[in-house]
Amino acid sequence: MEGILSWLGRAYENTLFVYGLVLLLVYALLALLSMLAIRHYTRKSTHHQLDILASSPMAPGLTILAPAFNEGLTIISNVRSLLTLNYPRYEIIIINDGSTDNTMEQLISEFRMVAVDFAYNPRILTQPVRKIYKSTDPAYSSLMVIDKVNGKSKADAVNAGINIATFKYFVCTDVDCILHKDTLLELALPVMQEEKRKVIAVGATLRIANSSDFDEGVLIRMRPPRQLLPRFQEVEYIRSFVLGKMGWSYINCVPNVSGGLGLFDKEVATRCGGYDHSSFGEDMELLTRMCRYAHDNQIDYAVKYIPKTLCWTEGPASVKIFSRQRTRWARGLAQLMYAHFSMFLNPRYGKMGLIVFPFNFFFELLAPLVEFSGVIIYIYLAVTGQVNWPYASLLLLFVYTYAVMITTIAILWDQLSFGYYKKWWEVAYLCLTPFMEFLLYHPLIVFFSLRGYYYFLTGKKSTWGNMQRQGFGKKKK
Amino acid sequence: MIFIIVAVLVTLLAYLSILRSRFLGHQRRKRLDYLLPKIDNLIIDEIMANPEVAAGTPASQIQLNLDGFQELPLHKKWARQATTDRIIHFRRNVRGNAGHLLRNLYIQLELSKDTMRQMKSPKWARKVRALTEFIDMDIPVEDVTILPLTNSRNRELRAAARHAYIKLSKNEPFKFFDVVTDPLLMWDQVELFRIITTTEDISIPNFARWVTYSSNKSVVSFCLKLIVHYNQLPAVPAVTQLLDTKDHYLRADAINCLGKLKVPDVEDRLVSMYSSQPLQCQLEILKAIGRISSGRQIDFLKQEFLHSTNFDLRKAAAKSLVRNNQLAGNVIQELLETANRENLLILKHCMNPLIKY
Repeated sequence: MEGILSWLGRAYENTLFVYGLVLLLVYALLALLSMLAIRHYTRKSTHHQLDILASSPMAPGLTILAPAFNEGLTIISNVRSLLTLNYPRYEIIIINDGSTDNTMEQLISEFRMVAVDFAYNPRILTQPVRKIYKSTDPAYSSLMVIDKVNGKSKADAVNAGINIATFKYFVCTDVDCILHKDTLLELALPVMQEEKRKVIAVGATLRIANSSDFDEGVLIRMRPPRQLLPRFQEVEYIRSFVLGKMGWSYINCVPNVSGGLGLFDKEVATRCGGYDHSSFGEDMELLTRMCRYAHDNQIDYAVKYIPKTLCWTEGPASVKIFSRQRTRWARGLAQLMYAHFSMFLNPRYGKMGLIVFPFNFFFELLAPLVEFSGVIIYIYLAVTGQVNWPYASLLLLFVYTYAVMITTIAILWDQLSFGYYKKWWEVAYLCLTPFMEFLLYHPLIVFFSLRGYYYFLTGKKSTWGNMQRQGFGKKKK
Repeated sequence: MIFIIVAVLVTLLAYLSILRSRFLGHQRRKRLDYLLPKIDNLIIDEIMANPEVAAGTPASQIQLNLDGFQELPLHKKWARQATTDRIIHFRRNVRGNAGHLLRNLYIQLELSKDTMRQMKSPKWARKVRALTEFIDMDIPVEDVTILPLTNSRNRELRAAARHAYIKLSKNEPFKFFDVVTDPLLMWDQVELFRIITTTEDISIPNFARWVTYSSNKSVVSFCLKLIVHYNQLPAVPAVTQLLDTKDHYLRADAINCLGKLKVPDVEDRLVSMYSSQPLQCQLEILKAIGRISSGRQIDFLKQEFLHSTNFDLRKAAAKSLVRNNQLAGNVIQELLETANRENLLILKHCMNPLIKY
């Protein structure tokens, strides 16, 4: 018996060693690939290109879809922000998903909306659409509002928008997100510049908006969040988007286009059934299904990412709301892995099956479980006096310094390419955050992820719910 | 231990790089904050507000006073680049005499020498930048310099060289349409379209030539757009011939082109081929009939509206009927009274001026 236990212990140790080593190497590789991808992007893009596209009659039409549920606090400034976007040919569709506050009334009165007889052809099934509104004011002619029965998910709302979208590409965003004025131009360029493959989705970097200054839905001044929890999220977003997604984009292995901002090919999205309203990670689920559809139909596809920050979103500032968000994300990941497990290590799905899916399975889904089991065994070994403390301390120190290094590299790429933030001390402030992230933020993520998996396994009922926004204030005097 | 040291060193190096980049950025901003208003004021005084420009004196006869510019630190590379950028910025926003005068200023300040130096750089990004500057400033470059670059393995450089060739070549600017074998990307088409339609003194050929003879589908598709832009009615026979192509994307483009050119003679042909076409071409045929609005195909549109099983086709037919409103008024009224619920909604949708698409 003791022999078996000792064998199991050694197997666990060795597996964990290989697991950790591969993870560290993957992050080192991502740092390198992201550098190449960002360098390619910055060399290739000039502001002049955006000017050319902005005035071109040949720019592809884009539809913006922004679902809203009880967003009365910010809806008007956010729609105004969308109306200021710089693009020659686009329409905005706001989907009021059965709000119980005054979201719909505000939209009607502010933008002079009237109900119209609209020929609605639902290619994707959704909850019923009550009415469709257009503005009588020519200044808002590109704006349309769908009023529908609440579908208890963002997915259902966006699907209603996809059904009504006019153009071949749609941009999905959250109505509470603030977009850069050139967002549509930036997102359209990779579609137009791709040589060989069909671009089915394009994503861009998101940032936390909490302490930045906005005026009428337009970003005036970018600042790192003052509160610790949103600042952790800011650092996490930089690492995830600038380093992670850009690295994956370089080898066409992007696992997810964020729900906050993404451009999608409407035909492919519709043909694979649109967003899954039962999913808690509907953005990642849709992209996985789109990639799967492309593989099944021999479409040589590409998913692109842009390192430039084009979208600001309000990050949860309280642990309670944050826990809700992360639990939902983890549950969504577990759902996705379960639903599409046939792609796992399946050569038929190319890079998706052999790289993206295994990475997500081992290093996203299993990571919290591995860490949790590691902590339990660590405690057990410590209590029974089996820990080699000098060696263990060194190992821990290495993991800590490595984690700080990777995040700092992500901040470095971001700074070298775009030089965000006005003051140097704001960047210094951000650079100090990774030192605490490992000790304060990461354990929270692990805990909420485990809770998400537990909810997934037990099938606990849950909805996308209200994120209790603070709203974006005006510039502080 | 060694790994810890490496991680710490890389982190420190990253901090130093951030610090250095922010410091250099700060210095650059400070210098430009000082210099750019000066450059702008000089350009405004000397060119934009020049009374001779307003009086319509040809640019070649206007003597530029460069004294103010000589006081700028133009012996420094960054200052020369900043001046070039500002001249280009102004030139992109003006036409005619002021634009020519900005070009003269660029030449007289010998800024083109820097651009020529960049052209010789082994780095593609610099070459692209130089070519873009030459295009913006309309500085002639010899064909022998540009032509080799039009076959470069680097896509960005290849595209920039092609744009430069069309804009700057004094021989046959559209020659490269004959030789290009790789597809023109959507982005290439946007840039080429801008260059072709904004270049002064360029002789526009009959694009039917490439519609008929080019084996490059993207060139044919692009030429169809140019035919529409220049309303080249002599190209109609060539475009009509394209209706027989096996490529249905190209066929759809040809139908679109004929519709936009409003060629009534092709209506019968479009209607006769309709039933054998894929959805994309059928939609284009219905749209084309709406654009032509001759009133001769109202029965066909009515039939499609009433009997098609495809929602998009019914909507396109209804839209075209509404576009034929003057001649199809009675038919529309009849349909409004007799159509089923869904068709009635489609019709009302198409008739509502608030709904664009």
